[in-house]
Amino acid sequence: MSNRATLLLGVSYGFMSLWSLFVMAPVALMLAAAFKSKRAIFLDPLGFPDNLNFDAFQRAWDTGMNVFLLNSAIVTVASVAVIVLCSGMAAYVLARSPSRMMQLIYLLIVAGFAVPVQAVLVPLFQMISAAGLLNSRLAIILPYAAYGIPFTTILFYAFFLDFPRELEEAARLDGCGKISIFFRIIVPLSGPAIASAAIFQTVFIWNEFVLALLMLTSPSLKTLPVGILQLQAEWTADWPAIMAGLSIAVVPVLIIFVAAQKYFVRSLAGLGK
Amino acid sequence: MSSLELKDIVKNYGAFEALKGVSCAVEPGEFVVLVGPSGCGKSTLLRSIAGLESISSGEIVIGGADVVGREPADRGVAMVFQNYALYPHMTVAQNMGFALKMAGRSRGEIDQAVKRAAEILRITPQLDRKPKALSGGQKQRVAIGRAITRSPDVFLFDEPLSNLDAALRSQMRIELGRLHDELRATIIYVTHDQTEAMTLADRIVVMNDGHFAQIGSPLELYNRPANRFVAGFLGSPRMNFFNAAVVSADPANITVRVEGAGDDLVLPRNGDAALEAGGRIMIGIRPEAFALGAEDGLTFAGIARVVENLGRETLLYLDCPDLKTVDSESQEGYVAVQQSSQFTGRHGERFSFGVSADAFFVFDGDGNTVRFPSSTISSQ
Repeated sequence: MSNRATLLLGVSYGFMSLWSLFVMAPVALMLAAAFKSKRAIFLDPLGFPDNLNFDAFQRAWDTGMNVFLLNSAIVTVASVAVIVLCSGMAAYVLARSPSRMMQLIYLLIVAGFAVPVQAVLVPLFQMISAAGLLNSRLAIILPYAAYGIPFTTILFYAFFLDFPRELEEAARLDGCGKISIFFRIIVPLSGPAIASAAIFQTVFIWNEFVLALLMLTSPSLKTLPVGILQLQAEWTADWPAIMAGLSIAVVPVLIIFVAAQKYFVRSLAGLGK
Repeated sequence: MSSLELKDIVKNYGAFEALKGVSCAVEPGEFVVLVGPSGCGKSTLLRSIAGLESISSGEIVIGGADVVGREPADRGVAMVFQNYALYPHMTVAQNMGFALKMAGRSRGEIDQAVKRAAEILRITPQLDRKPKALSGGQKQRVAIGRAITRSPDVFLFDEPLSNLDAALRSQMRIELGRLHDELRATIIYVTHDQTEAMTLADRIVVMNDGHFAQIGSPLELYNRPANRFVAGFLGSPRMNFFNAAVVSADPANITVRVEGAGDDLVLPRNGDAALEAGGRIMIGIRPEAFALGAEDGLTFAGIARVVENLGRETLLYLDCPDLKTVDSESQEGYVAVQQSSQFTGRHGERFSFGVSADAFFVFDGDGNTVRFPSSTISSQ
């Protein structure tokens, strides 16, 4: 390897290391703060905890985190299922259709990706309220699905463009209709795309705060981000418990990401098509 | 097995006419091979028969019924794809039985059909494997097996051996011949490989630019090509073509002058009544018609620019100073010569070959064959 190449490699590694540190620092601080006392968190905010004290985790759990976890899981699974199913079918049709109308629809879906949720909070609240869905899980499942579909459709679209058409033709000769081809051939062979779409949306929905705060007020329906907020009163806050709650909230997403990491990277690599 | 009849098939892609009204009838149990250059429409025709492409007009009759408008699965055809198109998430047995499963057949019936096809193709030990665990040849057998389990009226093969290496291709070619003998199935087979076409076909259909240039048995097409296109397409190395003119013509003979040749040639008439003095023609000579050192007919003396020793035969590309071929394989006007034996000649050596006038094909100004070599047989 030439000196120039070695230098380039060194600079790349150095940059990536710094970037990783930048990304990981808040996570490390959160984890360290969860083991500290309320006093220590203000006296030595950047230091290591003196010992592994799990009291903050206990206090966080006692606020009803098991219910929040369950709610988050139900909302996430339901939303992701709707997103994957709708986006998958839409992307398949869009990727296979030569029609200009379909291309226009695809452009509109892509454009929908650009509308920030904050911009439509008020009309969205009014619609959900008018539909009588306020304070129900559907009040956030439906908006989450609507917001997840554009990005996931783009992701699936890129994947389906490369899907071997001969398999679909063979399936047609074997007696499959369009729906059968989708569910019997396309879906079983779309594991990487489905996995990465599911991870993306899981991370987003699991962490979503604003819509959940707006639509859900009943404690039995609150999701994790909103539930953890209970540890913060008007004049005081139990920061170690909040950090512990956040640490607990991160664990399920982390497990999913590590388990399906290769699909995540592979699918993102194909997004430019 | 059923008959297949194509009646005036037209397929347009916008302004582009891919199939220009092709018609032919295939007898039950017949093995018909479609050959032609890339883009001539052979795969389009096959896909149209399968129902994967809709035709613009015409009729496709299988077993007496017009199947145009029917779904691919309802046409009684099974297709073997170039890239196998095996479902990667299914085992070999599941792949082979999938069509029957979709047709709602019983488990026992599916198992029986899969077992029978696997025995015919000798792939029983691979039935529980996934396609990724198979070699190219095994994958192709499974693809054929998938077609067999459906017991179709017509088998369609779309360049099925082109992804295999030379040795495996040769082996599979023999297997396909055996399979056809065993099943006596009606087969339409698309290929660009002349060896496959010549060895497998009962009849060959040569396609060019969306129409059928000629239909006939392999030897009929080789020996009596209807036109210059078919003559040049079949045979490797391809036929040598030379520009020529008819100097004089009488009821018994015609005298032709080949561009670059020293002397005029007198050819006895052989069904070429239309030729008249002054007409532009083209002479065609197969590479195997050249005899080393012979001096009758037309003599080719030149330097061997390329010598290909293939063991059982030798191919030479001869650079003759004045006699240049038209539309030749070498693109440089070299004359392709085939010697059916091992040959000690080397690149750069000078050789002289003679070709008897009896071995000449003659094509008129429109490219139609007007004279065949007198030694060839008219049909198989």
